[in-house]
Amino acid sequence: MKTFVLLFIVTTAINVHAQTGKIPEGFTSIFNGKNLKGWHISRSTHQGTTPHFYVESGVVVANENPYGQGGLLMTDKQYKNFELYIEVKIDSFANGGIFLRSNEGGAAYQVELVLPGATGDFIGERIQLSKGAKATDRQKVWKANDWNAFRIRMVGDTPHVTLWINDVQMWDVTEPKNDMIAQANEGMIALQCHWTAVYSPAAGNGMPLSSWQPGAAHRYRNIAIKKIN
Amino acid sequence: MVRNILHKVALILFFESCVFFSNAQSTDKQKTITQDSLFTNSIGMKFILIQPGSMIVGKFQPTVYKTSQSSDSVYRVALEMAKHDAMPGFEINIKQPYYIGQFEITQGQWEKVMGTNPSFFKGDKVKDDASQHPVENVSWHDAQQFIKKLNEAEKGKAVYRLPSEFEWEYAARAGAKDDISWGDIGKTAVIATSTTSIVGKKQPNAWGLYDMLGNVWEWVQDYYNEKIFADTVPPKKGKEHVLKGASFYGDVKNATYMTHAAGPASRYDVGFRVVMEIK
Repeated sequence: MKTFVLLFIVTTAINVHAQTGKIPEGFTSIFNGKNLKGWHISRSTHQGTTPHFYVESGVVVANENPYGQGGLLMTDKQYKNFELYIEVKIDSFANGGIFLRSNEGGAAYQVELVLPGATGDFIGERIQLSKGAKATDRQKVWKANDWNAFRIRMVGDTPHVTLWINDVQMWDVTEPKNDMIAQANEGMIALQCHWTAVYSPAAGNGMPLSSWQPGAAHRYRNIAIKKIN
Repeated sequence: MVRNILHKVALILFFESCVFFSNAQSTDKQKTITQDSLFTNSIGMKFILIQPGSMIVGKFQPTVYKTSQSSDSVYRVALEMAKHDAMPGFEINIKQPYYIGQFEITQGQWEKVMGTNPSFFKGDKVKDDASQHPVENVSWHDAQQFIKKLNEAEKGKAVYRLPSEFEWEYAARAGAKDDISWGDIGKTAVIATSTTSIVGKKQPNAWGLYDMLGNVWEWVQDYYNEKIFADTVPPKKGKEHVLKGASFYGDVKNATYMTHAAGPASRYDVGFRVVMEIK
């Protein structure tokens, strides 16, 4: 009986960390909470080709693997006009991001995830972004060491992008042109684990250690999308 | 009995000296062919002769770059992790000479052989002569079709195929024992841009090969092992094939000889070059 009660408590504790079912109405889950079905690792991004993305207690966890090699976890599907809902919990000194309309090699529009730093800012990854945006009010709504909900709306061939963090709008930006390579107007959602090390000191220094400190992780849950026609 | 043994020893010594003499002759003959030996085929594809030799593949010496943002204790942990994950690599001997394309296959060359041009960066998508840009938007199987037709067209004159990953890397290294520096990547590789470039616009490597790094990813023959570096023998089966060299929107991080990537990439960033066998 004691064993059963203990098992019940442990199971309940695990479920607290698991997907909470808080996906907003009208959204469709793109992460099943159990495995990475529907997602894949990019084998052609400079971030690294062998990152450790895994599912633990209903949460996607991102780590470097081997030391200093990051990578990208990408949706198998491509999205054009959409709203993305995703809850994130990020350790300090670990640089990641939510990539939007990404190509397989990781050229994308990006909502940055880094603490301390520019979490929530709109930047480009391997593209020359015409018009960025800063989440200057993020601190007002940010829950430190906890889950934070991002909602990103992206529409139009020349993208019009809006970010809400914990239901508060951070910015709304319309790009003057489509900056994506090959003028792509759709692409994958991807989650970034930044690289830090190069293969050899002969190449260069690599990235500062603070780009992804040892043992740091990014966590994601309740990932859902709403396509917009 | 002793006479028989002496006779056998004499024979062995004779044969061994013949083998030694033969090897020495062969080595001398190879040395007379310089690394910049050029061959141009009937459709204008240029090749450079690559001589046998050896290299270390997959030597992983991850860097740890400490700045004021990270404490000494974090730095020590990072050093330990980097040391733990470091890999010595393995020696690969390239035993046969081969010719490898001096440039990536261009759109013009593809069109001559196949009669079509699948590339994305053609016409008004580029500001200069697209026919001299590398062909892209080609799958590994498309590359094999090109090679099949090229072999048919050049029947009796030459045999073409994709390079193995090790043939590719050996040619890209051009004798370099360690990885390429970021400064040299900038001189030789088309990276960090938004379109492909006319082939051969950057500096060649030490053996006269252009665009081994950057411009378009290049297919090699091997299946992908889903690991950071190649194994000593590539897998017999796999979901994807290996890509080498990074592309026009690559970074100094992956535009190195060592990067062991795989398809499908983004299609408009993938091309190839071919090897011509020496019979």
